[in-house]
Amino acid sequence: MARVKLTNVQKVYDKNVIAVNDFNLDIKDKEFVVFVGPSGCGKSTTLRMIAGLEEISGGTIEIDGVVVNDLQPKDRDIAMVFQNYALYPHLSVFENIAFPLRIQKMPQDEIFKRVTNAAEILGITDYLNRKPRALSGGQRQRVAIGRAMVRDSKVFLMDEPLSNLDAKLRNQMRAEIILLRQKINTTFVYVTHDQTEAMTLGDRIVIMKDGLIQQVGTPDEVFDMPKNLFVAEFIGAPKMNTFETDLIREGNEYYVKPFGAKIKVDGSKGEELKKADIKPAKVILGVRPEHILLGHEGDPDSIECTVQVNEMMGSELHLHVLTKDNTSLIVRVPTVNLTHEQRDAMVNGHKIYITFAGKVMHFFDKETKNNLLY
Amino acid sequence: MDKKKQHMGMKAKTRLSNGIIYTALTIISIIWLFPFFCLVCESFRCESTYQVEYIIPQKWGFDNYINLFTKTDFPIWFKNTFIIALFVSVLQTIIVLCMSYTLSRLRFKSRKPLMNLMLILGMFPGFLSLILLYKLLSSWGMTNANSIPGLILVYVASSGMGYYVSKGYFDTIPRSLDEAARVDGCTRAQVLTKVILPLAKPIVIYTILTAFMGPWGDFMLANYVAHATSAGMNVAVGLQNMIGTSSSMAANYTMFCAGGVIVAIPITILFMALQKYYVEGVTGGAVKG
Repeated sequence: MARVKLTNVQKVYDKNVIAVNDFNLDIKDKEFVVFVGPSGCGKSTTLRMIAGLEEISGGTIEIDGVVVNDLQPKDRDIAMVFQNYALYPHLSVFENIAFPLRIQKMPQDEIFKRVTNAAEILGITDYLNRKPRALSGGQRQRVAIGRAMVRDSKVFLMDEPLSNLDAKLRNQMRAEIILLRQKINTTFVYVTHDQTEAMTLGDRIVIMKDGLIQQVGTPDEVFDMPKNLFVAEFIGAPKMNTFETDLIREGNEYYVKPFGAKIKVDGSKGEELKKADIKPAKVILGVRPEHILLGHEGDPDSIECTVQVNEMMGSELHLHVLTKDNTSLIVRVPTVNLTHEQRDAMVNGHKIYITFAGKVMHFFDKETKNNLLY
Repeated sequence: MDKKKQHMGMKAKTRLSNGIIYTALTIISIIWLFPFFCLVCESFRCESTYQVEYIIPQKWGFDNYINLFTKTDFPIWFKNTFIIALFVSVLQTIIVLCMSYTLSRLRFKSRKPLMNLMLILGMFPGFLSLILLYKLLSSWGMTNANSIPGLILVYVASSGMGYYVSKGYFDTIPRSLDEAARVDGCTRAQVLTKVILPLAKPIVIYTILTAFMGPWGDFMLANYVAHATSAGMNVAVGLQNMIGTSSSMAANYTMFCAGGVIVAIPITILFMALQKYYVEGVTGGAVKG
């Protein structure tokens, strides 16, 4: 249990490749922070710098108030779970979990107690005598988590622990990590490229791109108020629809005019625009697929589209539609309220009418790509 | 029916190719084993001590072995060689494994230049430095009667250059195992002893064997360093000295052969004892593969 503080942390390879740039983050005690971003964004490098596996080129990292820049991994009191499990193949599951305790020269009975306890929590008691090669992927990852758990270390680091598992197992393990977190209650730093994992696991999410932090916030914050276009498109699945359009003001009301339609920005969004006194301009409009509604022919706020691809997900349809000026949009339509006629109208090649929910639109500056309301 | 015919054809083909392979292997092994067979026969020949033109002895016996141990300094040579080989195998194994681990895992500025330098140095035949080595050792009083520490020094000094094979093996062990161990509280040395070496058993055994065999069979350097004093010789030099002149050749030839047989025994035992550790596939299940 500890606070982790990163101040102006930088990682430079070969004198000119900047992997992480000016990284500032204060991770609170017992907080679960997720670093997320596309590959090559520097998230793993940052984690490995906290672990001590990479040298820090600039800035400081503090764990529990102590600057750890020049400390070896073994002296930092951290535990880490690796993407590829990194189990010791010559040791049994029991000895794998006991390994860090044996290095600490812990008494035998204490080792036994801790290992069996961890094995029970993770449900791997039956495999304690097996070698890692006799385990499945999910079991191996559990052993790796067990090995990190028994230490009671200050910080728990996880580097894409689920990305080697198949989709079903990944969902299951994700839920188990949430449970595990409730049981061991320590500071977690978790790295993933999967926004679903980030959203479901993190107290706070750090979204990175090209070595720079794009936004830090709770899952709600980054979803509802993305700081810039990158965050908006990265968080949420399917990804947000973004396109250029005109933002206009008529009296006290704001409107957008996408694809020939005229849609009012209502609710809190309208208020916020007014409060910030946003000037009418050409903006990038962001609309999440779930915030696109079905419209009616003839309505001024309806946009005529052609269905290109219809993905039936069960509880919802993912429609890939094409507007008249050939912009591709994704629409999420819940199937629960659809009539048969409506569903039949949504096959490939058919015309449908859509409109946007005005209160949950996002507006980004055309040049800076920043959220106009952030 | 057609299918069956094809199947039979396949079987016959396999049989034929196996037959050819086994015949070739048998011929090769006969050619290879024949000198050993002759050596063993000669060592048990009692009717004469000089070279003869037949292979199978007319009178078998242990005379040559008994004479070797009672009438020559062979036990001293044997002891000398054994001490040298033992020390060298221990020291050289430690040095080679540390060297390999360092070159495999640590990244430092002079790593590449160092490896290139050693590669180039390794291309020069060792005997180029023989005279110089002798001069050095003799000025330190490490020749002839005191040749044992001198020889150990020379053999061990160059052992770092034999890192290629073990470094290659270490390179195949995933680095994340090192990282996991370091996070788990290991020092670099503990990573090597507790994780890498148990996984690299075959290569450790190989390193020990080669480190032992090098000095065990060395003649060139040992002959320089201990050419005058029988008490400082190793088996290769001592035995060669026994047949150095044509008269001693005639008197000692069969005894020389007996010496050759005995020299092979420790190596054979060592090999057989360590052979079972040549197990492959110990890294299975370490990381996602």
